[in-house]
Amino acid sequence: MDAFGMGLVAAMGALATVAGASEDIDSDIGSQSNPNSQVQLAAQVGNPHRIYNKAIAGEPPSNALWCTTAAIMAYVLIEGYHMPLLFAAAAGASLAALFDGVMSVSAYLGRNASQARFNQWIYLDILRYTTPSIMAHVWITSFCIVLISIIQVYVLTPHHPFPIPVIALVWGLTVGAIGSSVGDIHYGGEREFQWRLFGQGLNTMLSGQIVRKAEAGLRNSIDNAWFCAKFGGPCTGMGFGLTVFLDNWRTTVFDPLTQATAAIAMGIFFVIVMNLYNFYCELSARRKYGPYPGYKGDIAA
Amino acid sequence: MAETVKGFKLEPKQLRIYGLVGSVVGIYLAYILNSVTGTNIFSFVGALAALFGVVMGANAVRRVCAYGIGTGVPSIGMLSLGMGVVAVLFGLSIAEQLGIGLLGVIIALVYSLIFGYVVGLIANRVMGFNIPVMEEGLTDLSGAGTLAILGWSFAISGSLGYADIVHSVINTGFLAIIFICGGLAILHPFNANLGPDEKQDRTLVNGVMVGGMSTIATGICALMTLGLAAGMVQIVVGFAVWYYFFVWYFRLAKRDASAVVGTGLLPPTVQ
Repeated sequence: MDAFGMGLVAAMGALATVAGASEDIDSDIGSQSNPNSQVQLAAQVGNPHRIYNKAIAGEPPSNALWCTTAAIMAYVLIEGYHMPLLFAAAAGASLAALFDGVMSVSAYLGRNASQARFNQWIYLDILRYTTPSIMAHVWITSFCIVLISIIQVYVLTPHHPFPIPVIALVWGLTVGAIGSSVGDIHYGGEREFQWRLFGQGLNTMLSGQIVRKAEAGLRNSIDNAWFCAKFGGPCTGMGFGLTVFLDNWRTTVFDPLTQATAAIAMGIFFVIVMNLYNFYCELSARRKYGPYPGYKGDIAA
Repeated sequence: MAETVKGFKLEPKQLRIYGLVGSVVGIYLAYILNSVTGTNIFSFVGALAALFGVVMGANAVRRVCAYGIGTGVPSIGMLSLGMGVVAVLFGLSIAEQLGIGLLGVIIALVYSLIFGYVVGLIANRVMGFNIPVMEEGLTDLSGAGTLAILGWSFAISGSLGYADIVHSVINTGFLAIIFICGGLAILHPFNANLGPDEKQDRTLVNGVMVGGMSTIATGICALMTLGLAAGMVQIVVGFAVWYYFFVWYFRLAKRDASAVVGTGLLPPTVQ
């Protein structure tokens, strides 16, 4: 273990935290992934809305696309044209943001046009002011992920044997999966359905009955970013940051070749501790907020 | 509406013929042009050939997923490209070993069609999807994924040789962008247009548009593997394809939407 390696691991953890947070806010602005089904359903049950509908293949594949796009650009600039690492990562992230902008616009136009019979209009002002903020968040995400990949391949010893695009693809899938399972719950559960009682779940009767009106006027997707940046985004960032940091920490502290057993044991230890903490969190939430008033005891299946 | 937008309606069989023939002919045309002129500047023709396969695949996704597979749209697109990767590597390496390098495209395609049909059979019979067009759809999808990977791999490597493709597409990691961007080109069209008023022409135009973006991406990769000229030509061609089809797509969306407004409150009936 050396201090430089540990510093790099800490930097990667910090970058991953930022990437996770921006990834979640990007998907919340666009109502991507799981909450998207309710946005899609809203118009069909008679609730046309002014919320962005960015349906791009679910978060893992779409983030894999942004990160890989940024990574190929960075890789070509670094290997083919010997550009500085930071400049290459920034150029790649800009391309990824442009790709994202096109995909987002096409998804908003397509999804809303396909709901013509439910009187769902296409609002061009939403496209104009929401798409840039989605692109900005994608820029941050892909910049951070490409930097993590660059650190792994060029700086951290031992150098990672895979090329940057493949590593970025895997990290993109990971950040998308974490964002989809951590931050989106906050948006879908707390923001789209604000009046739900604890423990109610999503009643079928409420499907599509999302909140369409804001504190003043109609709700738009920028309001959702404001809300999700307070909790869902940072939670996702913490989840992804811890994943990157803890996993690299154990292989930096313990040499993967000579102390492999210790590194594996440390990994198992982390998994056990996190499971116990999760269990504690759930129990504590149930104790504080439960039970659901309509709870009539467990019903035998 | 004053302006009329050009639309179309194509049968699946027609599209299959266009996809398979257009793609295979395009890839060989690109190869011949490159060999005859002794340059790699015509590699972009391979990327254009991939677009035919993409359109065929996008239509297959549309048909299979119209049976109510909503969240499965991304999965089926990834499945398509996954089958494609296996088929391409199998076809090209077998052809190389048998000494018939040029026939690799045909071997990969035939293998992928059989592979897709078997996966479709398993999905329907064993897993019990019970979707009538599943076998047909997965056969198309597998072929489309193979042609997309072959076309864009040619666009990056400028060659159909197994060793060349391994060297410049797989070892560099550029297969990752072909996989994910090609996959999005096949799955994004239907995913972006999902809904009861989805129209075939709008969906397929979207597919070509995303294909144009993939061509820009492979052009960037080609800047490194094939050099500045070949890469730039590919980027410009990709941009032209993207721009033309994006404008067309926007017009089709305007044609199909219940209203396109600059700004406004909710529609009058529901406020």
